[in-house]
Amino acid sequence: MTSIRTSTRSGAGRALVAVYGVFALAATARSLVQLGTKASEAPLAYTLSAVAGLVYVAATLGLAEVGPAPRRLAWAAVGFELVGVLTVGTLTVLDPELFPDQTVWSAYGEGYGWLPLVLPFVGLAWLWHTRPRH
Amino acid sequence: MDGPLPLALLVASLAFAVVVLVYVVLDRTPDWGLLGFAGVIELGTLVLLGVAAVQVGDVSLSGGGKVTLFGYLVAGLLLLPIGFVWSLAERSRGATAVLMVAGLAQAFVVVRILQVWP
Repeated sequence: MTSIRTSTRSGAGRALVAVYGVFALAATARSLVQLGTKASEAPLAYTLSAVAGLVYVAATLGLAEVGPAPRRLAWAAVGFELVGVLTVGTLTVLDPELFPDQTVWSAYGEGYGWLPLVLPFVGLAWLWHTRPRH
Repeated sequence: MDGPLPLALLVASLAFAVVVLVYVVLDRTPDWGLLGFAGVIELGTLVLLGVAAVQVGDVSLSGGGKVTLFGYLVAGLLLLPIGFVWSLAERSRGATAVLMVAGLAQAFVVVRILQVWP
């Protein structure tokens, strides 16, 4: 019987968790500063930043295999991330006035070198690649 | 921000990421040389934090701007140590590549510090 790697935090997954961790830290810290200092200026954009931050934290924990059902958490978080970046990206491209201030998912993550758009595809591919097989 | 320190830190962080890339390509595990390189960057970031703390009183920066500035400076102090802890727990190319992520993130942090500084 061949051994099939199913850990999401091993090998290339370790670097992927690091990238997600950086995004979790950046998005969460940014939203905390925004909500703490100027929440009334663009409440929708800043709330969205906070949601994005939580999604990245959940994806990081899931991929790092922390918690009781990490794989399920990772699938849900990365799936939500993909829907989020595509929805917010499309809305902000169609109507730039919708969010007065930038969020991590604005214009498909243009402000972050489009990494927010690429990342969920890589995350889903990695979860599929490491899925348990019998 | 006066002086060549931020630019030197930016170049050093990018150079660190490139060196780690070479390690990944050659399938070499992190060694004392890499740890020493990261230590120098860490020390430089600590000095930058001190310089910012001294000079911030002389510049016009809003309350939110100050929180952002020192948030990035503290993040700059945490990235490499956390990267090493996460990387050294496993011996694989992917684990070594974690340090490349940390180096690039460190460079991004320095760029943001320069952008936030008035």
